[in-house]
Amino acid sequence: MNSNIKLIFEKGNEHPIRNYIPKMDVESVEINEILPINLQRKDLPLPDIAEVEIVRHYLKLSQKNYGIDTGIYPLGSCTMKYNPKINEVIVRLPGFSRIHPLQEDKQGALELIFQLSKMLEEITGMHGFTFQPAAGAQGELTGLLIIKKYFEGHGLKKDKIIIPDSSHGTNPASAKMAGFSIIELKSNKEGEIPLDHLEFAMQEGDVAGIMLTNPNTLGLFERQITEITRIVHEKEGLCYYDGANLNPMLGICRPGDMGFDIVHLNLHKTFATPHGGGGPGSGPVGVKQELVAYLPEPCIVSKDNFFSFRDYSEKSIGRMKCFWGNFGVLVKAHAYINALGAEGLRRAGQSAVLNANYLRILLKEKYYLPYDRMCQHEFVLSDKNLPNEITTEDIAKRILDYGLHAPTIYFPLIVSGAMMIEPTETESKASLDKFVEVLIKIHEEAENNPEIVKNAPLNTLVKRLDAVLAARKPILHD
Amino acid sequence: MDFVPHDKDTINEMLNTIGVKSFDELYQDIPKDLQLDKLNLPEGLSEPDILRELETLSQKNSLYSSSFLGAGCYYHYIPSLVDFVISRSEFYTSYTPYQAEVSQGILQASFEYQSIITRITQMEVANASMYDGSTALAEAVIMATYITGKKKVLLMEGIHPEYVEVVKTYCWGHDILHEIVSDDTFLSKLSDDVAAILFQSPNFFGEIADVSEMVKKIREKSPKCLIIQSMTDPTCLGILKPPGETDIDIFIAEGQSFGISPSLGGPGLGIFTAKKKYLRKMPGRLIGKTKEINGEKEGFILTLQAREQHIRREKAISNICTNQSLCSLAALIFLVSLGKTGLRELAIQNFQKATHVKQKLEDIPEFSILNKKPTYNEFLVKCPNIDDFLNQCKQADLLPPLKISNYFPEMKDIALVCVTEMNSSTDIKKFVRTALISSQSKNWRD
Repeated sequence: MNSNIKLIFEKGNEHPIRNYIPKMDVESVEINEILPINLQRKDLPLPDIAEVEIVRHYLKLSQKNYGIDTGIYPLGSCTMKYNPKINEVIVRLPGFSRIHPLQEDKQGALELIFQLSKMLEEITGMHGFTFQPAAGAQGELTGLLIIKKYFEGHGLKKDKIIIPDSSHGTNPASAKMAGFSIIELKSNKEGEIPLDHLEFAMQEGDVAGIMLTNPNTLGLFERQITEITRIVHEKEGLCYYDGANLNPMLGICRPGDMGFDIVHLNLHKTFATPHGGGGPGSGPVGVKQELVAYLPEPCIVSKDNFFSFRDYSEKSIGRMKCFWGNFGVLVKAHAYINALGAEGLRRAGQSAVLNANYLRILLKEKYYLPYDRMCQHEFVLSDKNLPNEITTEDIAKRILDYGLHAPTIYFPLIVSGAMMIEPTETESKASLDKFVEVLIKIHEEAENNPEIVKNAPLNTLVKRLDAVLAARKPILHD
Repeated sequence: MDFVPHDKDTINEMLNTIGVKSFDELYQDIPKDLQLDKLNLPEGLSEPDILRELETLSQKNSLYSSSFLGAGCYYHYIPSLVDFVISRSEFYTSYTPYQAEVSQGILQASFEYQSIITRITQMEVANASMYDGSTALAEAVIMATYITGKKKVLLMEGIHPEYVEVVKTYCWGHDILHEIVSDDTFLSKLSDDVAAILFQSPNFFGEIADVSEMVKKIREKSPKCLIIQSMTDPTCLGILKPPGETDIDIFIAEGQSFGISPSLGGPGLGIFTAKKKYLRKMPGRLIGKTKEINGEKEGFILTLQAREQHIRREKAISNICTNQSLCSLAALIFLVSLGKTGLRELAIQNFQKATHVKQKLEDIPEFSILNKKPTYNEFLVKCPNIDDFLNQCKQADLLPPLKISNYFPEMKDIALVCVTEMNSSTDIKKFVRTALISSQSKNWRD
């Protein structure tokens, strides 16, 4: 069959390519004398491809991909902000890229991690950080294991965690991995935590704590936040802050001051490190003083400007990841925070809120906004009032036709047909205006020419793809 | 520096549209007593200042002309086109491809990655990546407990000690029991309540197991026990029998060797593969090929998402969301560049150079090689004067091998030496000479 897809494996020929292997320059014995034949493979099913063919193949693939450098990328809760180019230069400095995790002489790397810890402590109001977690979800697991260990150590049986129904899916999944069962708390009409329900849930005494995102996934600040953390603390629970939405809080407000005991950050969101098509990220976890001893080993300490590791802590939850975490990502976040400084971080947070509210005001004219009040970094529209049985997915796909990226859709689960829009601070007014213009135009089409929206996208390289077929008969490799 | 594109007039215009007078009003929901005046951080820096500052910091890390250190992180040559491709910002500034129609580039690359991993491992399915080898192994353990309904695993000696620590942490979270077993005891420990047995080959000490033989013994004793293999430097698959030909259930590896710079050990790449019958219990993202709903064209899409946390929440197999996508792209380009000829020759050269160094060290009085089984590019050498030897290496501008007592205090005076294609004959001569000098200086001092 003549497919529209050409995989790299279709290229190549019988001419052997040895471009990337240094010349063998020591005397050697035959491989069969070192490795018994029965341990060897018979066949290696890879092609030999000339470099130019490889470069062209992947250059073409890159042209079939949309990134922040292409245009607005308003995925809610993902904080797709611009990634400064200087960071890509810095991370490739040989003193960072070529160092081995087990080499002794790495004072520069330890100092960098130590400094980053101090900066994040100031930004969040925490007292110590671990950098092992490779991403936000692993940070959540780390934080929850700290909670588990804390109560084990205090001889208390607390095996439940309160999670609101608006939470990220990783929250309940992480709590489960740490052995907790979940009490789901329904948000109230205002999209916030109902204090009476919280008090009721805390009464039993077997609740280890609460996991919250603030601003929450509706983009709304929990106005009763200090009350919430007080109620949980009163019953000896701990408060966990999911830092996915920290961006609008930069320089404005700190989770530590809100009463949180543990926080994870997503350096690939708030601190502008690239999302890399899905990763790598980094999910450092910060804690209040009382919990520092529970952080995973190794922890870096400084004495007279010499950086080393603290003595082994009996209370530590153990190791979360081999070596030091995603160091390359830490380098970029360090550079970003230093580039912005105190003022720049605040301006970033403010502009993220400005941009989101600007879009909110202009879009609520045509789209239903279920929680109509001042938002923080993002807001959520619903599919209510969409004409002619147009769905949220139809709108998202039609946005692609206009050369822009769609928002996060169908999340949070508490809003019907949610469209979760987070423009970030790095979009210009012109870019936001363009986004509004497109969404209003699509709404007009939905009213007057619904078929074009239902069949979208029409201008992309492929049309809407069959997800059901993909799952029913999985084809996962060539 | 400042990456916000607004000037003052624009900001005022936008505030006006929103219907407020100042930023303060945007933050009306935040209690006043929680609002900060200012963070206690320095002023921002310009690009040249940042570069200078971080360059200085980077220079406080030692770089060596050649390395004899491995132990889970390896120096292999990275073809220039790897960095060229992963630096295309359409790739690196994109995110998880939720909107498939405008993400066919990264989706196809991930599909090709899954394909090339199944080709070199001969396993039936590979996912789109995990964080690293250690967490991939830990998640394999959890997967095995979901498949078998049992809550106990056996870990063979010789698994990377940091991987063992990570597995222990995850096991504790999930209330899974674990026990360390040796070559001599593992068969007797295979009781009915064991979900899986884990081993690493080549193991932490460099040794290659006869996996087929081992699998046969395990299957005879305990047919339902899952067998999980891990690997820290999969370049050996250029010549070594692939795990898919040895009836392994789950195979995981650290993929850093495939075109990813050492970078203090992260980001790396968790390679995760399994038998197809376990597909629906697998953690992590999967990319599938499909067709247009109303058309003929083929395309790629995130699939089997019903396993994942954003759909299943607490019923999900794993909490993983962000993975190591860009690193899997680097691995793909690395493997495609080397190709059939290159990957095979790379593996052979690692075998041969390490063997060469082994022989040279064995010639030194008081040095002895401790491995009894075949080894790949790492091996254990007993050197009575180890601290002196490692120091002399540094003096000679060589990154010294691992002092293995750092992990195993009872294993004194033993170094784990790593030799790859990157060690030239000059480097090797220097290394062997350093070993010789250290052995002589000991004799002299005695």
